[in-house]
Amino acid sequence: MSALPFDTLLVANRGEIALRIIRTARRMGLRTVVAAHGADRGAPALDAADAVAWIEGATGVAAYLDSAQIIAAARRHGAGAIHPGYGFLSENATFARAVAAAGLVFVGPTPEAIDLMGDKIRARSFVADRGFPVAPSATEDEDPGTFLDRARALGGPLLVKPSAGGGGKGMRIVRDMALLEQEVAQARSEGQRYFGDGRLYVERFVEQPRHIEVQVMGDAHGTVVHLGERECSVQRRFQKIVEETPSPVLTFEERQRICETAAGIARAAGYRNAGTVEFIYGRGDFYFLEMNTRLQVEHPVTEMVTGTDLVEMQIRVAAGESLGVSQADIRHEGHAIELRVYAESAARGFTPTTGRVLALRQPGGEGVRFDQGVAEGQRITTAFDPMLAKLVVHGPDRATAIARARRALANTVLLGCETNIAFLDRLLAHPAFAAGEVHTGWLDAEPALAAEPVPSAAIRLKLAAIAALATRAIRDDADAVPALHAAIGAWRN
Amino acid sequence: MRHAFDIAGTETEVWLERARDGYRLGGDAGRALVALLHRGGNTLLSLDGGEEPVHLVLDGELIHLHVAGGHYTLRHLDPARRFADAEAGGGADAARAPMPGTVVRVDVAVGDHVATGDPLVVIESMKLETTIRAWHDGTVSAVHVTAGQSFERDAVLVTLAAEA
Repeated sequence: MSALPFDTLLVANRGEIALRIIRTARRMGLRTVVAAHGADRGAPALDAADAVAWIEGATGVAAYLDSAQIIAAARRHGAGAIHPGYGFLSENATFARAVAAAGLVFVGPTPEAIDLMGDKIRARSFVADRGFPVAPSATEDEDPGTFLDRARALGGPLLVKPSAGGGGKGMRIVRDMALLEQEVAQARSEGQRYFGDGRLYVERFVEQPRHIEVQVMGDAHGTVVHLGERECSVQRRFQKIVEETPSPVLTFEERQRICETAAGIARAAGYRNAGTVEFIYGRGDFYFLEMNTRLQVEHPVTEMVTGTDLVEMQIRVAAGESLGVSQADIRHEGHAIELRVYAESAARGFTPTTGRVLALRQPGGEGVRFDQGVAEGQRITTAFDPMLAKLVVHGPDRATAIARARRALANTVLLGCETNIAFLDRLLAHPAFAAGEVHTGWLDAEPALAAEPVPSAAIRLKLAAIAALATRAIRDDADAVPALHAAIGAWRN
Repeated sequence: MRHAFDIAGTETEVWLERARDGYRLGGDAGRALVALLHRGGNTLLSLDGGEEPVHLVLDGELIHLHVAGGHYTLRHLDPARRFADAEAGGGADAARAPMPGTVVRVDVAVGDHVATGDPLVVIESMKLETTIRAWHDGTVSAVHVTAGQSFERDAVLVTLAAEA
């Protein structure tokens, strides 16, 4: 390993991922600067970084999307490279080009790869043209006049998506074809609003599909490897809650086939840096869904079973180093599960909750990693994504990993804002999860899981005891009585 | 003075009496010998001889706590205030926000006549667009939000009046 061509890294992100990137960069001997909006005052990444570059915007999100301001901050702080994390500017080819034009290193893929994979329609035909499997679909661009007819001809159920989309925004499942036109209109409105692009495409929806994705990593010298798959089928509103590796459903042959397909797609695209090829899997078949040209939220499960540091690999590859590993060098050991701790109420339809972190205690123990995104004292608002932290556990096998995850959840203390921690535990305890029999619609089909159970009589007694003991007025009432008895006693004598 | 807490949606009356090494708990949740112990920077709940760690934070009338692997928020119920809330909340013909979010669009103005099912306001929260529709025929008597505005859960969005 040679010296890196830069000594300072600017992290253009927030929350847990900013802290996670800073940790690796510091370990590599880099100086770290984190871009931060005022709404994130008190966040743990700000303490961990060597310097904070304050950025401004009408909203926090607008600030983190302001590429000119972020590049200027990098220059001002002497950063030679920018890591975009996930979300925000991570899949913005214009930003990647601007970073390079400013003479800085973008820690991510080439702008060409971002462009190709960012346009879901182009990406899909690129993949299909090279003989990799894709789901039957229709794109609006091909001939807008016949779009609805072509969509109907695919046969239901259908999934309508904005072609510029990602992260589940604006996606709709249509089972009743009479509603197709209406759903298309709503998806178009959402696509227009989120991405400034109302173009749509529809594809056959695989019933009870499983979401399986493959981590790939490429360097500038033509090497592409995969680091195995992750299964992310436990979702609410198309957003992942639990991710694990290896997938409990794949056979050895299927695993090899899906991982080789992902590496093949990345190779065909001349892909560099970290990327994830997402597939939809159902009854032994899998289809290419999309490729995310960035580090994923759920990357730690891959790190735990492979013993790698994907952020370090990203930084080295971006600096022009070769990967230094071949496919045979990547070994997988044990089972890892990630749980996303969200500020949300499962019982109220997974709606976001707000508050202030009044107390936070991380879980510890063997095989437990806690990627923290908030610190004590921080306000939780709806200004950003509701993810507060990620709990990642590793064990020799899946059952051990689940048991460790449940113990770690029980030992996580986060007071002041309602979270999904209890829901995550119910989910892990469910027999279908234990059996690995889940799909992306599983949570919708199991609404009972979201409901908050009534506390047992034993718990109610504990809660009543703590409430009474912690309330000064109640203690004072009790303490006054023996004093009075004593006084009366003395007077009588 | 009687004290009650909202414990998981149930009004629970509690009281304490001084006992030799702590207190005797009484009330709707049951009876037990209890104490909070502070040992080595940790707080322990002692209940009928058993001890277990507790994390708790007082926040006004709320008690946030973690015990036995679970998180709970209890509300200290002040009888006088509860009565006032019930008076004020009675009979308001209003749509309240089911979750915190942002107003995408307002489709009506004060004085508009609306029929059941007419769109009133489109709100967005965490990637999900929801249309708030008229729940009966009537007249819009107040619009409490504007496009682009963000709001908390339970915020009043639109008030209707029955058709005269």
